[in-house]
Amino acid sequence: MNTVDWVILFGTLALIVGYGTWKTKGSKNIDGYLLGDKTMPWWSVCLSIMATQASAITFLSTPGQAYEDGMRFMQFYFGLPLAMVILSITAVPLYHRLKVYTAYEYLETRFDLKVRSLGAFLFLMLRGISVGITIYAPSLILATILDWNISLTTIFIGSLVMIYTVTGGTKAVSLTQKYQLTIIMAGMITAGLIAFWNLPESISFADTFRFAGEMGKLNMINLSFDLTDRYNIWSGLIGGLFLFLSYFGADQSQVGRYLGGKSITESRLGLIFNGLLKVPMQLIILYIGILVFVFYQFHQAPVFHNTSLKERAMQTAQAGEIQKLELEYDQVFLKKKEEAGQLASAIRENNRTQIELSKESLASISISERDIRSRVKESIAASVPGANTLDKDYVFINFVMTYLPHGLIGLLLAVVFSAAMSSTASELNALASTTTVDIYKRSINRKGNDLHYVKSSKLFTAGWAVIAMIFASIANQAENLIQFVNIIGSLFYGTILGIFLSAFYIRYIKSNAVFFAAIIAESVILYCYFFTEIAFLLYNIIGCALVVGLGLIFQAFENSVRKVKDAS
Amino acid sequence: MTQPTDEKPPVFKSWNSWYWLVMGVLVFQILLYLFITQSFL
Repeated sequence: MNTVDWVILFGTLALIVGYGTWKTKGSKNIDGYLLGDKTMPWWSVCLSIMATQASAITFLSTPGQAYEDGMRFMQFYFGLPLAMVILSITAVPLYHRLKVYTAYEYLETRFDLKVRSLGAFLFLMLRGISVGITIYAPSLILATILDWNISLTTIFIGSLVMIYTVTGGTKAVSLTQKYQLTIIMAGMITAGLIAFWNLPESISFADTFRFAGEMGKLNMINLSFDLTDRYNIWSGLIGGLFLFLSYFGADQSQVGRYLGGKSITESRLGLIFNGLLKVPMQLIILYIGILVFVFYQFHQAPVFHNTSLKERAMQTAQAGEIQKLELEYDQVFLKKKEEAGQLASAIRENNRTQIELSKESLASISISERDIRSRVKESIAASVPGANTLDKDYVFINFVMTYLPHGLIGLLLAVVFSAAMSSTASELNALASTTTVDIYKRSINRKGNDLHYVKSSKLFTAGWAVIAMIFASIANQAENLIQFVNIIGSLFYGTILGIFLSAFYIRYIKSNAVFFAAIIAESVILYCYFFTEIAFLLYNIIGCALVVGLGLIFQAFENSVRKVKDAS
Repeated sequence: MTQPTDEKPPVFKSWNSWYWLVMGVLVFQILLYLFITQSFL
């Protein structure tokens, strides 16, 4: 990092935060503050939805995922377009016609106050904890790369978001997200192009595609039905459909985005274009990881991508061992580079025999590389007790820091900060909306005027931002970050989805039945978490099935009791 | 699929056309990616 990078990084962030704050300050009514006066055109709704979903960890982790594991992660998103269609037909017209501020407000219209409050409470628990992780995850990586204090990085991101989210509410969130997403995509594509331009001159863009394919990285579709395999077409279509129905239909951080649409048409088009663009967008991000993979066939990759952690290990008695392994790694790379060159030539000449020979050699070189890397990781784990030696999330950012020219490094760091800020802003905005509308305005103080509720919303936004920063500090204690996020999500999403599925599609189930079903379902999920070994990813299905199943049973029971009473 | 609202969509005559477009694009992408995957097996 040099001065140019710092100027670009802080200049970009200051421009976005400053412009967002200045342009959207002064909302005097609750419609303006929480729904942005419902003025958003479809493209703005679409950008806002995409920016909310794509957190910093998406841009840090996804290229690393492709680098290590190929393109198969893309299947995870196949359920999303289907969810967009279903929600465009059902949720969008319903929410718009009822003129709701939050998704949970609809639950009172469909059921009653207690179901609305329960839905809002479960959402606040889920999102209140996970917003801390949204800040913490990129803070951890940025603090490591920039050698900053982790608490300082957390406070820096949290405070920047707080400034414009408190001042401008929903308008500020969507306005800044437009610029943030533009910077994110421009930065990511530039990084991919730099990886490509640094390949040997004889390798064309089409060659990178064939090279990656021959190396087994274009494993885009897996048709086998295997419950133990996380990414196949079936888990993507079925599991993804449920996950995205729940996320886009019942999570206020997304519902709030399309509720700001000018009309049903604008909100619907926003969702439809998200359905059209999301999979190609993931394809681009994953392919950037593939380009980095091809790049590292011709350039020396670090033996361990979290170089900061490796440097710490080099200060210990393990330094000698790590150095020895690095020398071995250098030797292996020379062989790899030669074989990769031969494979590239064979691909150009379409020499099938040579392609197979080179692939075999590269496969055996890859085994040696993996062996050396795992020995390095063991040495690091031995020298820095408690250190996380998973370095997949550092592959892309390390490439950026090492190979991008100055100026672009600053831009790419602005990408990561922007992504962290855009998803955090939506989450804080959703938490404040739900606290104000579903709890404070509905059950605590019903007599305030618009200005009072705007002020309350601002206070709740600031309050949730502080809580998020505190959770981000506690997250440090969590052994595995992604697992922690998934566990928190799985504890509540199943029950919330069950309530909304009953509300949208099962008219038979009424308020008492769904309320008690949801309470029991949530208790069962918490019991499973504390007292059983059931895999936490199953909590989503268990929770949702329990709410719907028990709801149907309780309703049948209630109906039969009523019939008996009526008869007597 | 049912016609859920009387609001007319842009470009197409009905919303159903938009929904079929989204699903058609998804099917096209899946088939394309399947072809790419199979090509390198």
